[in-house]
Amino acid sequence: MIGGIRLFAIAFVVLTVIYAYLSLMQRWRCRKQLEAEFDAGGIDGSRDDYVDKGMAEYRGSFRRKLILGVYIIPLMVVMTLIYVSNYM
Amino acid sequence: MRYVKWTLISLITLIVFGFAHYTLPQHDVVRITGTEVIRQDFSGWNRIFYAQPDSGNAVGINRDLRLIYAAYPDGGVMVYRNEDTSWGWPPYFKFDTSNLQGETADLVSTRAAPQWAVITHYGWRNEFLSIYPNAISVRQVDSPDVTIIPWFNIIFLTLVALILLWIYRKIQKFRQARIDPVLEDLGKAWDKVEDQADAMGDRASGLWGRALAWLGTWRSKK
Repeated sequence: MIGGIRLFAIAFVVLTVIYAYLSLMQRWRCRKQLEAEFDAGGIDGSRDDYVDKGMAEYRGSFRRKLILGVYIIPLMVVMTLIYVSNYM
Repeated sequence: MRYVKWTLISLITLIVFGFAHYTLPQHDVVRITGTEVIRQDFSGWNRIFYAQPDSGNAVGINRDLRLIYAAYPDGGVMVYRNEDTSWGWPPYFKFDTSNLQGETADLVSTRAAPQWAVITHYGWRNEFLSIYPNAISVRQVDSPDVTIIPWFNIIFLTLVALILLWIYRKIQKFRQARIDPVLEDLGKAWDKVEDQADAMGDRASGLWGRALAWLGTWRSKK
């Protein structure tokens, strides 16, 4: 069973790195998009206020939670493989 | 130099293809003739072609190896091993080795009254290294003339091809967006350096000629 613990430990580390990268990329892209929207013109108020409001919306959004799929999908794949190999 | 490039490419292709052929599942239609457990000692040469002890057991330098004897419809013989891959490589997550041995023992038949089965396996049979393919699962079929479609291989290889295509496109886009402009700038900068060097060369030859002439005045004075 130590093999299983090893596998899950290594997978957790690797997936956390991938999750961190995707999360930061998504956040950066959202911020860039908000700034570009403001710079395009036609929005009143300060730039910082607009960006902060957009980022607060992003923080509660579903897209952000979708990145947790990085953990879920490999887990689902492994569970499916175990079922197919052993119980079918 | 062309030979080096093509040799390298074909070597890498061979290794990748061999790795895929070893690791991906294949299906054989066979008649099970028997099962056995033998004691096996692994050497350096063939250790990598074996899996580990059954999940939950301790590791030693030798262990009992379950074998499955089978015969092809044309009479040829194949021997499979039956080992847990458990949490290791390849990621088949096979834990039910003893169960599989039981199922296989149930399907043993004679040549006179054959019972055909499809064995899913991976790996190679090599008599020189004494390595056997690892049987993953077995199911009974009515006759040896079944059509078997390797669904998993089709889906897996298509996904791999799509991912490689995606990576290739991303590299192309990246190269066009970032590297080519830099190379162009580098090229222009290099041209400017060359022009400057030529200009300096012209000046230097003028200078050099005058310096040599001045030295010459010293020599003739002596």
